[in-house]
Amino acid sequence: MQRFLSAVCLLAFAAEGRAAPADEQFEKVVRPLLLNKCVSCHGETKQKGDLRLDSLEAILKGGESGPALVPGKPEQSLIVTAVRHNEALKMPPKEKLPAAEIAALVAWVKAGAVWPDAKPVVPAPAKPAAVRTFTAEEKAFWAFQPVQRPKVPGVPGKGANPIDAFLAEGLKAKGLAQAPAADKRALVRRLTFDLTGLPPTAAEVEAFEKDTAPDAWDKLVDRLLASPAYGEKWGRRWLDVARYADSNGMDENLAHGNAWRYRDYVVRSFNADKPFDQFVREQIAGDLLPGGTPQERADRLTATGFLVIGPKMLAEDDPMKMRMDIIDEQLDTLGQAFLGLTLGCARCHDHKFDPITAADYYALAGMFYSTKSMRSYGVVAQWHERPVDSMEGSAKLAEYEKKRAAASDAARAAEKRLRDAVSARLDAERKRASVYAEVGAQLARRRDPLRLAVADPSKGEVKGSVLVEAENYTRGNALKLTDGYGAGIGVIINSGKLPNVAEYDIEVPADGTYQIALRYAAQTARPTALSVGGKVVRSDAAGEATGSWNPDGQKWFAEAAVPLKKGKTTVRLECAGPFPHFDKLALLPLSKEQSAAVGPTAEEVAKEKNLLLPLVRAFAKAAEKWKDKPPTADELAKLAADANGPFKRTPELDAAVDATLATDAKKAKDELAAVEKSKPAVDEAMAVEDDAKPQNVRVHLRGNHLTLGVEVPRRFPVIVAGEKQAPITKGSGRLELAEWVASKDNPLTARVMANRVWLGHFGTGLVRTPDNFGRLGERPTHPELLDYLASELVASGWSVKHLHRLIVKSAAYRMGTAYDADKFRTDPENRTYWRFNRRRLDAEELRDGMLAVSGILDRTPGGTLLPTKNRAYVNSTGGRGAVDFSSPRRSIYLPVIRSGLFDAFQANDFPDPSTPAGMRTQTTIPAQALFHLNSAVADQATEAFTKSLLGVPGDDAARVREAFRRTYARAPTATETDRVLKFLAASDVSTDAKKLKAWQSLCRVLLSSAEFAFVE
Amino acid sequence: MFSRRDMLQSAATGFGLLALADLLAAAEAKPTDPLAPKKPHFPAKAKRVIFLFMHGGPSHVDTFDHKPKLTEDDGKPLPFPKPRVVSGETGNLLASPWKFKRHGQSGATVSELFPHLSTVVDDLCFIKSMHGSNSRHGGALLELHTGSDTFVRPSMGSWVTYGLGTENRDLPGFVTICPSLSHGGVNNYSSAFLPAVYQGTPLGNAGISSDKATVPFIAGTTPRTQQRRELDLLGEMDRERLTHLGPDPALEGRIQSFEMAFRMQSAAPEVQDLSKETEETKTLYGLNDPVTAGFGRQCLMARRFAEAGVRFVQCSHSYHWDQHGDLRKGHGRNALAVDKPITALLTDLKRRGLLKDTLVVWGGEFGRTPTAQGKDGRDHHPHAFTYWLAGGGVRAGTTYGTTDEYGFYAATDKVHFHDLHATMLHLLGLDHTKLTYRHAGRDFRLTDVHGEVVKGVLA
Repeated sequence: MQRFLSAVCLLAFAAEGRAAPADEQFEKVVRPLLLNKCVSCHGETKQKGDLRLDSLEAILKGGESGPALVPGKPEQSLIVTAVRHNEALKMPPKEKLPAAEIAALVAWVKAGAVWPDAKPVVPAPAKPAAVRTFTAEEKAFWAFQPVQRPKVPGVPGKGANPIDAFLAEGLKAKGLAQAPAADKRALVRRLTFDLTGLPPTAAEVEAFEKDTAPDAWDKLVDRLLASPAYGEKWGRRWLDVARYADSNGMDENLAHGNAWRYRDYVVRSFNADKPFDQFVREQIAGDLLPGGTPQERADRLTATGFLVIGPKMLAEDDPMKMRMDIIDEQLDTLGQAFLGLTLGCARCHDHKFDPITAADYYALAGMFYSTKSMRSYGVVAQWHERPVDSMEGSAKLAEYEKKRAAASDAARAAEKRLRDAVSARLDAERKRASVYAEVGAQLARRRDPLRLAVADPSKGEVKGSVLVEAENYTRGNALKLTDGYGAGIGVIINSGKLPNVAEYDIEVPADGTYQIALRYAAQTARPTALSVGGKVVRSDAAGEATGSWNPDGQKWFAEAAVPLKKGKTTVRLECAGPFPHFDKLALLPLSKEQSAAVGPTAEEVAKEKNLLLPLVRAFAKAAEKWKDKPPTADELAKLAADANGPFKRTPELDAAVDATLATDAKKAKDELAAVEKSKPAVDEAMAVEDDAKPQNVRVHLRGNHLTLGVEVPRRFPVIVAGEKQAPITKGSGRLELAEWVASKDNPLTARVMANRVWLGHFGTGLVRTPDNFGRLGERPTHPELLDYLASELVASGWSVKHLHRLIVKSAAYRMGTAYDADKFRTDPENRTYWRFNRRRLDAEELRDGMLAVSGILDRTPGGTLLPTKNRAYVNSTGGRGAVDFSSPRRSIYLPVIRSGLFDAFQANDFPDPSTPAGMRTQTTIPAQALFHLNSAVADQATEAFTKSLLGVPGDDAARVREAFRRTYARAPTATETDRVLKFLAASDVSTDAKKLKAWQSLCRVLLSSAEFAFVE
Repeated sequence: MFSRRDMLQSAATGFGLLALADLLAAAEAKPTDPLAPKKPHFPAKAKRVIFLFMHGGPSHVDTFDHKPKLTEDDGKPLPFPKPRVVSGETGNLLASPWKFKRHGQSGATVSELFPHLSTVVDDLCFIKSMHGSNSRHGGALLELHTGSDTFVRPSMGSWVTYGLGTENRDLPGFVTICPSLSHGGVNNYSSAFLPAVYQGTPLGNAGISSDKATVPFIAGTTPRTQQRRELDLLGEMDRERLTHLGPDPALEGRIQSFEMAFRMQSAAPEVQDLSKETEETKTLYGLNDPVTAGFGRQCLMARRFAEAGVRFVQCSHSYHWDQHGDLRKGHGRNALAVDKPITALLTDLKRRGLLKDTLVVWGGEFGRTPTAQGKDGRDHHPHAFTYWLAGGGVRAGTTYGTTDEYGFYAATDKVHFHDLHATMLHLLGLDHTKLTYRHAGRDFRLTDVHGEVVKGVLA
């Protein structure tokens, strides 16, 4: 009170501007503190975070993070938060202030922040965000200009491909020309790998070589584009961009048990040549698109998995941080994947290089803040999933709903019957409230014998007492535990079998009345029935909560007093649910006086007077508080009417009124629960939905959710979408975002995708940074060609297959890879495309190719090979988990485990599946050689290859010929045959097993060779 | 992948199937070997790092940060507020069950948990004021190893290898022995968006005993002599193809990488083969005692990798230190397993003259609360904990920074993980603000926008 008064006084003084005791404190501690510890960074010379702390006015005005101080409210004052060092904002940064100084500062703020000789100051409102204006250069940046369909240069000859016309200009400028076409064998291998990710079979190569028709190439292109393998190859390329994975990675590596549905959706979409704009719309807002068949709706919902499959810190203790981090990951991926924009860079401040402001960022963030991507943010957090319709699933679900409705009706009816019976009986009993009160008072008075007869029965101080360790039960099903909950004492706990039972055969030393005492620990009460000699002496024994389940929560309680004869008796503990943690029980002989005080038990009284036992107990409990003053009639009436008084309905009371009805009601309720448990597993997909209440978010200064700036309405980045944008009035804004991104007028979307397709064929993009079209990205080598392709994409109805056709039918795509010293000197990076880029097979092509050549590739499409249950850990600290990569299915169907990638992928430049990757890096490292020499994949493939080769009729030379044919689709030269035969001859082939090994060596060499591993 | 010099060398050693001019031209297309040793930004004090990682979070107030006031106020409530965000509830202050004594000329306080280490404290520099931002294992491990508890970023070993290359091309440049597969798993040694060559090479994992931990794919089913013949045949075929196609650095690199892999197959097991060490050394590391053998082997391997020119070696005492309960038994057992091996490593490095240019770092992902969890446990605590450094460029025999009187918050000269990273790079001759890699539109650093070199720990 004193403190309160003085605070009030201080405020009063402050208001009047008179000298006050706070002055002294301020001058003695606070002013020196600010001067010595703060103003070097927040003063005249430096204003870090735009903040000064050298006057009250400045402090109240605050900095980037808003006002630094709210007079009288330390908990709302950033300066206090900062010096306490227990939030992200810590000041001074390197050194926490001494406790005394912090206390003084807090006291000063609390007392109203009196600053002598400070002019009266009015707290300034939060600063409006500075409006960012774009420079002419920024506005003119190439990537933000509308796509213009350029005129195809020159006068193209009939049938000439416009791509070649565009490329010809660049070549001419450098005095270069296109390389001659590659041979047909190289071409069919190139196209087959490029469009399907698989090698052509020898027969396919031979057929193409023989086909001299003018449209042979066109037919080949059509055949490959129609192959289901096309979607597997190009779907996988999109999955790189979408950072697809079958597990979360990061801190809690949980299985994405349903991610594969998104993967299969992507494969299906590419195979169906789904218009790319639709593909985009579905991934951003498929859940919000109207109409469609059930299958289409399921697909669209699944598509939004794009937003959910990112890596997340699921054990972040700060849910606000987690939420913003997840949104950031979504925005970053979305920006790079569709727009080639690194939006993530604008989280903490305006983008340093591109005209994307922090306001743009938080305008978009608002859309995702208004979107439910997570079910919960508590540790360990859960990502969102939604049921997806499948015909079979729907039928099962309908049947279940019918069953559930019936069970629910039955449960409601049974409950009503019981309720009616109970309320009728209770109305009757209420009239006998005075009888209950009297009985209750008597019982309460007799509780004395139920005080422990001795302070600590464990010590065995009472003569003739019996002490039993709970874990020494004669019969029962409880679990004995000597560590953890039972450390040092030994306890019994729930073993999982209900009811929990423990029964003790006890030798009673002499006739007499005994107190039964129990020692147990329970954090929440678990009443247990106590029987002696086959008779329940107390049905709510061990009914206290002791504070903890641990040994430190163990306490003794007296539970009953019973007359016993010398000799064997049985004490039984039974609990319908789990036991409290019992340590010991004791039989303590009572003295004559104590025995005499033992009256009839509640059970006996109830029986005798035909009272309801639970009501008797409730009144006995209530009576403990009455002391010797029983309630008056009025009080009693009130008590009887009190909904939470002794007449409160409990399961015990229900059972006492009408056991049959109570059982029926319970049965019906259990039945309902069982039916609900049998709910058919509905197919679920990782997916999002709009929040009921969309909201804008405020700019997070320096990306920190604790320092908020101004609120920004949900809208698109101004540099692309302009200043004038229709306001988003309902929903999250994702639908509008999807339409905006997928619009033909968006300058980025079509260009970015056209570039991805080009990159997939030529190994380099026209923009060589496929995920970054910003200022730090590269400029297009052929801007007109890029625009031509982008406009073709849009004009063809966003057909990706159309782009493939256009590109692979160009002469440029069919060039050879031959080295030319002069041309190389002029253009070593092949920016003009004077030859075709030789490329190494990627990880999947290499493995699939090896398995295909060996004849064991399993082409079954779709589904999941992940053995881990949804949301279960894919591995533990020291355990690799159950994920098995030995399946001979195509690589795209093997699980992608973040932070636990298949080693064959890891060695061969598979991208980190946590970040979008429009282009894979290509490294040459010994691990790749070791993969060929020692991996299980190589062993698996070469063994199958060998076995099949050895079955080829003819001599070794014939088999070598067949080996070359299968691997390279050509016959070996005489030198090669000779060399290989020599290799075999020098090997030990004395036994079948050794012969197998020798041939396996040959197969290993063939599948490791550059000719196999590179595409010409 | 291959440098001009490599190209010339191969041309000069009978590999010169191509015109020299062509080779040079080809070499220009891909000029450098990304793992070739690189000059640091400024002269370095340390050439390599050995990081001894105590996974789980060793308690600072029970090991090196002596707090008499904690003993005095045992059982009393913490007299100031706890952080807003905590991993779990804790109760009142809990005195350390271990006694502390001053040791060495430096008078460093070490608890009786580390009797061996206390004999070499004059070689150590303690940082008592460490702090991090994340109170969960996963986040804290990632922040420690990558600088970010939010996003996937390259690990510190990858940054170091990226910055300095490696000195022995028959071995990986960054090796992590028995790393954890959880709490970030591979991300704790991955190169993320840095090229894959900088990825840490795991030897086994936390579930594999250190004598069975090997480099992935290092051994197969093919006998060595047969494998040699395979490589000879393969080399012949690939070289013929190269002649046929004209110069191509990628092809040429591939040919060489097979030879390198073949050499690595003998080099790596050789370094891991401890049988040739003297009995005295084996005993020193505790290999003769099952209690210390596991981590002892890790430490001895670390010395051998360091000696062989590996740039960054991490040993992990995996996920043992998480004593929410059973602190006495747990920490007692853990310290027993690592104390002797760690001391042996320091002693051995010193007598071989390696300690002067090797940076040894010891620590966990966080400390533990001075307040109690249950009766005999402590919770995760990123707000204050202890690290120690030894070796190249470190101010030995000193202590830097302090915590408050209970060891609850770091108090003076606070050192965040970012500062530790900046300091480690500094000791290796790298300026943490200049060691950058461009990715997704900006230049990334190990320290992001944070980090200050802790001058006070530099010799």
